[in-house]
Amino acid sequence: MHGTLNLVGYGLSAIGPAIATGMIFAAYISGVARQPEARSVLQPLAFLGFALAEALALFGLVLAFVLK
Amino acid sequence: MGDRVRSFQFSGEGFVPPSTADFNLPPAFGHSEYTTKPVFLVFLSIIVVSAFFIAASRKAAIVPSKLQFAGESIYSFVRHDLGEEIIGHEFMRFVPFLFTLFTFVLTNNVFGIVPFLQFPAMSHVGFPYVLALFSFFIFHAVGIKKQGLGKYLRGIAFMPGVPKFVYILLTPIEIATFFIVRPLTLSLRLFANMFAGHLLLLVFITGGDYMLHDSHTFLKILSPFSFTMGIGMTFFEFMVQCLQAYIITLLTALFIAGALADEH
Amino acid sequence: MASNDEGALWSIFGYLISGLLIWGGIGMALDHWFDKGHHWFTLGGFLLGMGASLYLVWLRFGRE
Repeated sequence: MHGTLNLVGYGLSAIGPAIATGMIFAAYISGVARQPEARSVLQPLAFLGFALAEALALFGLVLAFVLK
Repeated sequence: MGDRVRSFQFSGEGFVPPSTADFNLPPAFGHSEYTTKPVFLVFLSIIVVSAFFIAASRKAAIVPSKLQFAGESIYSFVRHDLGEEIIGHEFMRFVPFLFTLFTFVLTNNVFGIVPFLQFPAMSHVGFPYVLALFSFFIFHAVGIKKQGLGKYLRGIAFMPGVPKFVYILLTPIEIATFFIVRPLTLSLRLFANMFAGHLLLLVFITGGDYMLHDSHTFLKILSPFSFTMGIGMTFFEFMVQCLQAYIITLLTALFIAGALADEH
Repeated sequence: MASNDEGALWSIFGYLISGLLIWGGIGMALDHWFDKGHHWFTLGGFLLGMGASLYLVWLRFGRE
């Protein structure tokens, strides 16, 4: 077996953002389902939450490749 | 793949997991890189798509035959759901390109699970690169033609309503997004999905084959599960292949729409 | 409308990636240039890029 433990660490650290993204869109979908007219209010919030969670995942990815 | 399967039976070695080497198929004749299976599959896909749509549209009738109905529903899907809905009133100019892109990618992807062909050409990254270059040039050309070069570049590089010094921070990101990251992610998404999907099928099928020919009775008993997973994954792959063809066309349409509509 | 959402999500992803790559790359280049044996410019570049791209996402998608 060859490889680096960095990628195992990245795999572990990606669990958090994955769950976060799921929860954000679950809340967004149920909010829009209950109150369709709230969509225009909820959409930017959901996108910002997605961006924050995704930024952490990408940060982990970059660090996994950069750190020696 | 046939060679691999045979080598498991006779070598008696441990299981060799499929790797990137399985994607570099030997040339069919000669020593050229241009006579490998993916190249032939791409040409075959052009013939298949052309033949299908010529046959479907040759005898166009008011009451459509089954073939004509199939051809027309694919066409109207691209035209309405990808063209008219997203690009807006100027959509008709782009329907030929979107339709060609969609059917070409779809056919090549589905070749990944058609028996005896069984290789998605898009799992070689060169093909998606070329497709992404096409859509890259088209959406920039459309934007430049519509708004003029200076105005289009200014619209990309400078967000309105931001203090001046922040542009140092944001402009490199915007330029990198529009000129590097967008075409790159467009092609890499298609490539990665096809590559991973083909690798997944290889793992389950060659793994099941290895287990079936192993001397352990326990592994022999378990091998049908691996084959069953392989069959299930084949259906899953079909879904992914259609979805990826849809997504690359959708994102191209969205980029074109963005280039047409950017007025800030 | 759902397809436009998907386009927005992918372009958010693109902004985040290019922010990290551009400013992180500049930070790495600075570290390589000065060659002091530390990597603070790299770290600072990544943080700056992440912050800038989040700000950009907020400007593009969050401001309504």
